[in-house]
Amino acid sequence: MRYVSLQKNKLSQFVKSLQKKYKVVAPVKKENLFVFAEVEDPEEISIDYIPTILPPKKYFLPQHEKLGTFVKDSVSMAETNIDVEPTVLFGAHTCDIEGIECMDIVFHDSPLDPYFGKRKKSVIIIGYECMKPCDEYATCVTMDTLNPRAGYDIMITDIGDKYILHLNSPEGIEIGKNALFGKVTNERDMKNKLLKLREDKLKNFKVLLDAEYKELNKIFKGSYNSETWKDVGRKCVSCGNCTAVCPTCYCFDIYDDVKLDMSGGERRRVWDSCQLDEFATVAGGENFRKERSSRQRHRYYRKFDYSVIKYNKFFCVGCGRCTRTCMADISLIETVNSLTKEQKNAK
Amino acid sequence: MSDKKNKKVRIAFFDFADCEGCQLQLTYLNEQLVGLLDHVEIVNFREVISEKSDNYDIAIVEGSITRKHDEERVKEIRKNAKIVIAYGACACIGGVNGLRKKFTQQEAKDIVYKGREFPLEAGEPRPVHDVVKVDYYIHGCPTNNEETIKALKSILIGKGYQPPTYPVCVECKLKENVCLFEKRQVCMGPVTRAGCGAWCPSYGNICYGCRGLLDNPATQGEMDILKKHGYTLEELTQKFETYNLCRMMGEQNEPKKS
Amino acid sequence: MQSKTLKKGKTIPADFLYSPRAATIIRTKQMTANEKFFEIGFDDGQPLGQQPGQFIQLSIFGVGEAPVGVCSSPTKKDRSTFEICVRKVGTFTSALHRLNKGDKLGVRGPFGRGFPIDELKGNDVLIVAGGLGIVPLRSLINFIIDRKRDFGNVMILLGCKEPKDRLFTDEIDEWGNMLNISYACTVDRAAPDWKGNVGVITTLIPGVHIDKNRTYAVVVGPPVMYKYVIAELLKKGLSENQIILSLERRMKCGLGKCGHCQINHLYVCKDGPTFTYAELKGLGEAL
Repeated sequence: MRYVSLQKNKLSQFVKSLQKKYKVVAPVKKENLFVFAEVEDPEEISIDYIPTILPPKKYFLPQHEKLGTFVKDSVSMAETNIDVEPTVLFGAHTCDIEGIECMDIVFHDSPLDPYFGKRKKSVIIIGYECMKPCDEYATCVTMDTLNPRAGYDIMITDIGDKYILHLNSPEGIEIGKNALFGKVTNERDMKNKLLKLREDKLKNFKVLLDAEYKELNKIFKGSYNSETWKDVGRKCVSCGNCTAVCPTCYCFDIYDDVKLDMSGGERRRVWDSCQLDEFATVAGGENFRKERSSRQRHRYYRKFDYSVIKYNKFFCVGCGRCTRTCMADISLIETVNSLTKEQKNAK
Repeated sequence: MSDKKNKKVRIAFFDFADCEGCQLQLTYLNEQLVGLLDHVEIVNFREVISEKSDNYDIAIVEGSITRKHDEERVKEIRKNAKIVIAYGACACIGGVNGLRKKFTQQEAKDIVYKGREFPLEAGEPRPVHDVVKVDYYIHGCPTNNEETIKALKSILIGKGYQPPTYPVCVECKLKENVCLFEKRQVCMGPVTRAGCGAWCPSYGNICYGCRGLLDNPATQGEMDILKKHGYTLEELTQKFETYNLCRMMGEQNEPKKS
Repeated sequence: MQSKTLKKGKTIPADFLYSPRAATIIRTKQMTANEKFFEIGFDDGQPLGQQPGQFIQLSIFGVGEAPVGVCSSPTKKDRSTFEICVRKVGTFTSALHRLNKGDKLGVRGPFGRGFPIDELKGNDVLIVAGGLGIVPLRSLINFIIDRKRDFGNVMILLGCKEPKDRLFTDEIDEWGNMLNISYACTVDRAAPDWKGNVGVITTLIPGVHIDKNRTYAVVVGPPVMYKYVIAELLKKGLSENQIILSLERRMKCGLGKCGHCQINHLYVCKDGPTFTYAELKGLGEAL
């Protein structure tokens, strides 16, 4: 059994059934935007949403995370294990699922990060396929993250009259045994139907990047000293928004939080950003990425080149968050298109 | 500072030109303040106790320094204390008192007292570090208790305290607040030093820049952003001025630690 | 900018990823006004097991952690201890300087890729140390002294700001007395009674006799130094992979995750801190 169907008015019931066993986190409205948050009532879920302010990486690498506790005058950490409630991440878009896959590579790259590893194992990922574009910022078509590929337990696709759920793991199949679901008798037909659907939906999406997937890395190889970085650097206010909202930015700082009675405390990590002044500053005062332009370039290269060298993978998933969130109007689309233009003109 | 057994660190609070609102914040600490009292003894705190002492290790100075008399008093405090902490916007950056600098002393008197008798001596508002050496800064208008506690703990264990050098946006985004620019509001977050946990924006208010400009603000970038939202240079300057006029009128930011 | 296959450092057991091991300061020595030397031993008596050039993360709970290069060789007689020498420059190092014999510390590591000892074996070694660069290089120098049979001529060039900044002076005098080890020192400025060289370290290189086929240069110093030293070494006929460098960057995790030490696609904590010039050449953020 790889596919099951669900009547469209039964989505809330499905979530309710999940809540018996799991904490369910899903997209909910926050003012005019959306966030992933724990839902009590399934009706709170906004299943048609544009990418949330923060990506679901916060469930795998929380903004602040305890690494262990210590007591005064001791030098080793205690309580380094973390408890993670079994959780369902409900309604994740394919771009965000790709983001989780990228984080997975980094934190599983030897040595395995035990905290991330444990969280990853404790979260069931139920995706929700986009049938129409979210807004004018996403580049999922070029980044090829528009369609479900891997990284989920279940993928929900709206095929018009009902939802089809692709069960993609033993955990997914277990959840799919729920009596709410209808059988899909001819799975091969369903597979073909979904393929056709994905082919058709493409016409709803605009291609916003001027370069193709296969050209992107080459463009970055030639753009290290481009003037574009100066333009980007001039706009940047180093607020760190672009890295916080990026599904594949994983840099963190480590700090000690001492208890009020100073009898001990916690060693914790917190999201950090390569865009901030002190990120690459050593104790002696030297800052190895002093200019905003070099910090922005670093961010882009981490998405389009360094990750390719290290993992043969783009770390831009095309969600558009960095552009959407940037108050200084630094646009990934404009930046990449500007580099593309320069490179094509140089030929 | 070593926390030698049985010997509590003696802390004294002093206020100058200010509203005492930052000291008042501390009274909201409740049981947390009690926990801290295992390690410190408060010997001078007008908001809470009436006794006074000149024997203290840490002087927490609130308010900006204005008159000659204040100058002498803060110099005396510096002499007595091992550590001086500038506490709150008035002490750290001059704060709203800096607005006085937009006028001559006479103009200011006229505006405020409109011909009434003004028997008091007035002076030029300055942040504490313009008069004496300041060891640590706890920013804000008012100060944020979470940061105050964090700073005090950090100072007491000998680590010292440095407020973040990054903008309020960093803390705001981690809280997943909807950006105020998104809501067409003008926020000073991008150029204001973090450390308050994005206190105001988390409650839907804009950042007024009370924690002072960043050491390295992207002033032009911020101006561009604000202009894009239809604000004139004058309006922007006004926003900056509320808390940061001392610095804008040529005062240095607090000296960098070596 | 091509992908280069880097030899990875040792795998770290998962238990020690973020949890420091308990250690005690055995001995300290104030080296200069700003530098202090510490001999440290693990409480369980285990050796650190480091390679020359590797680093550790030192931990003082409440204050935090900082990366520190190890300055003793794994061939040291008493293997139950290791040594570091730290300059007081910030919060952590100030707290560290306040510690003395008998005080406890947490230690994670060793981390990173040390100097390529196996490649150096059978060759002459030119050691170029600028300022604090002598600290990690001391681990290599002592290693070579203890394994002298495996190495050819060793030339040590030392540069620092003033004569009073020189570290390990008593040891250096000993090195100078050894057969097959030559030693030269220069300072940026000195009082008239200074009998040694005055000038930047690059001025010492032209005078050194180098067998260009069989010499490795190992260079550690402040960032500004590398470019000039490398140029001199290339002039001497050394190839890019005969020049070994060790880089300093901000580090938090030591595990190739937290991102602070990244230079282009390389993580200094994991891919380095030692690199050949060939590995770094062309990387915009390296040198």
